[in-house]
Amino acid sequence: MMDEETVEITEQEILDMEEQETIVWKGYLACVGEDSCVVQSPWYLGDDCVFGADSDYTTLAIAAIQLLQSKGTQINSINALNDVEGSIMFMATGVEVMQTSNDDSAQLSAEWDLCIGDDARVVVCKTDCEVELWEPEGGLDVDEEFHHEMTSAWEKECQPEHVSQGAYVSQQQYQEGAAARLKLMSQKVDGELIWPPRQMDGKGNTMPQASTPLHGVATIESWTKLAAAGAPSEFSIRAPLLGGISTVFVRFEQGPRGVFLLVDDEENNPKIGDKVQFAIRRIYAQEGYIRYGLKCQIIRD
Amino acid sequence: MVDVAVIGAGQTKYGNHPLGLKAMWAEAATNAFNSVDKNFEANLVDEAFIGSVAFGGAQLGNTAAILTEHSGMKGCSVRRVENACASSGFALRDAMMAIKSGEADIVVAGGIEKMNDLSAERKRYWLGVSGDTEWERLAGLTFPGTYALMARRHFHEYGSNHDDLVNISVKNHMHGFENEFAHIRKEVSFEKAASGFMVADPLTLYDCCPTSDGASCVILAADHVVREFTDDPIWLKGSGAGSDHLALHDRHSITQMSATQKAVAQAYKSSGVSARDIDLAEVHDCFTIAELMATEDLGFANRGEGGLFARQGRGRRNEGDVAINPSGGLKSKGHPLGATGTGQAVEVFKQLKGTVESARQIRDAEIGLTHNVGGSGATCAVHIFGRDR
Repeated sequence: MMDEETVEITEQEILDMEEQETIVWKGYLACVGEDSCVVQSPWYLGDDCVFGADSDYTTLAIAAIQLLQSKGTQINSINALNDVEGSIMFMATGVEVMQTSNDDSAQLSAEWDLCIGDDARVVVCKTDCEVELWEPEGGLDVDEEFHHEMTSAWEKECQPEHVSQGAYVSQQQYQEGAAARLKLMSQKVDGELIWPPRQMDGKGNTMPQASTPLHGVATIESWTKLAAAGAPSEFSIRAPLLGGISTVFVRFEQGPRGVFLLVDDEENNPKIGDKVQFAIRRIYAQEGYIRYGLKCQIIRD
Repeated sequence: MVDVAVIGAGQTKYGNHPLGLKAMWAEAATNAFNSVDKNFEANLVDEAFIGSVAFGGAQLGNTAAILTEHSGMKGCSVRRVENACASSGFALRDAMMAIKSGEADIVVAGGIEKMNDLSAERKRYWLGVSGDTEWERLAGLTFPGTYALMARRHFHEYGSNHDDLVNISVKNHMHGFENEFAHIRKEVSFEKAASGFMVADPLTLYDCCPTSDGASCVILAADHVVREFTDDPIWLKGSGAGSDHLALHDRHSITQMSATQKAVAQAYKSSGVSARDIDLAEVHDCFTIAELMATEDLGFANRGEGGLFARQGRGRRNEGDVAINPSGGLKSKGHPLGATGTGQAVEVFKQLKGTVESARQIRDAEIGLTHNVGGSGATCAVHIFGRDR
């Protein structure tokens, strides 16, 4: 989705980069410093930075924390307002989120702050850190009609009265699989990694807890694009706007396989053999509860 | 061990059926009772196993009790069998085992599904509920998508292609055209089937079965009572069943179905026949790629040569090695989920008895096979029927 001047960056390359340099991280534009990090959507509507089809402040905040963590920065807790899903951020990053409904800093006690403004941008910084103004490169124009329709679709989908009429993943069921879904946690059995986790083996023994993360790179073994009419009902409001939804079947470097949606429902068709990496995005919402999960982003040369 | 025979079988027409659940089941049961050569009464039934997904939730609990109550089988031991699209394939297996156990002499196996009385939005919530909801559905997959992943991988591994799938679609529509019980009685040309609306790339509309209403019913009898009902029984010679991981990503391969392989190995062994002996096979072609893979898994084609098998027309009625889906299969006859497995058995029963429409009759048919798959291959039941015991 990014232009030719801006390429996705690896975690190793982050260690060597200079401050104020625009990088692409998890499909977002980012700038990382010693004690701070700015992450924003690449999409612009005029001069306004706006969210893409499956992003929000929670997904930006997770990406920002993960960017700092990939540099080796230790973050135990972070102050945040209620614009983000703190429990999802914790499940995805392990960082405790101290939330309040207003910006009364006296109530907030973490060493790090999550700052958000009116646009699709977040700043994660130490509480005593000053963040320099940063103008990113590589922004993309979004179609105005598409943006408004997608925003409206999410508003409708996030209403409490938007409920399932059949297939259903409850909040409890979702959270039970969150470590595997958000952090790719797998079970290690006799040197083999198992993902998603299982309950018992063939001898009736309880399987170990999922505590070994898979590497965040996989290879596409098959893929499909469903027409909007064929998409699951959970996607029925947004799929027509996206022209269908794309799913890839991938094999991780350590062996397990899985199926994932594409980030921002990337327009370009995948190919068998393409490498992908992962980013947390919105999947769908029911009963006012947004299910987040990892989606794939094709690594382009 | 007791041998088991099929003494009667019947079904409703598949499609947008005007009747509700109770009336549809009564129609299928009546057709089955009337197909018995000698007198048969509903109150002779000892046990009933009725397959259904209970699509839409109209009668989710005690489905079998209310259906048998309305078809004259009140008071007999009944239960609903649920194994997704293989529900009544497993109901048939359970019915056979009830007789083999010695606990029952006359057993009904059947299936039913009402799919087209829901609003479009509600129907979407129920389509694909038999996949792995937590891991596949959250990745945007319903069954067209799941089978599309299999198709693209099969193309990649074995050099098969979409034209092979088109050949399957054309064949099954041709077979179903003469079937008075079929949902879609329409022949399609290769060109038309090749240019269908894309549903789940690479699968088009002509690669996908319809959503159908329908009911089917099969009556089984123990060998020591068979002659009370017919002098020309169809013997249930063998049965096999298997299961596999529900989610595609947990399976060893997505271009073959180990549940089918396990089931058919058992069925061939228990019946003493092999793939070469089969005259006709009702195969679970919910999507054309499913039939292509099944021809390999059932042993009709070598591994990776299912596409070639289709291209060479080796499954065509009275032309090929074995008639694959002479009823039109799920693609043309239709796919009322819970009714499909015993609906396949109805077709084989009639073919072996010689009572199908003359244009559809498989010449000299002696042995038939049914292959009923649940979802994307998590469950499978295979049965083999023959004119000889």
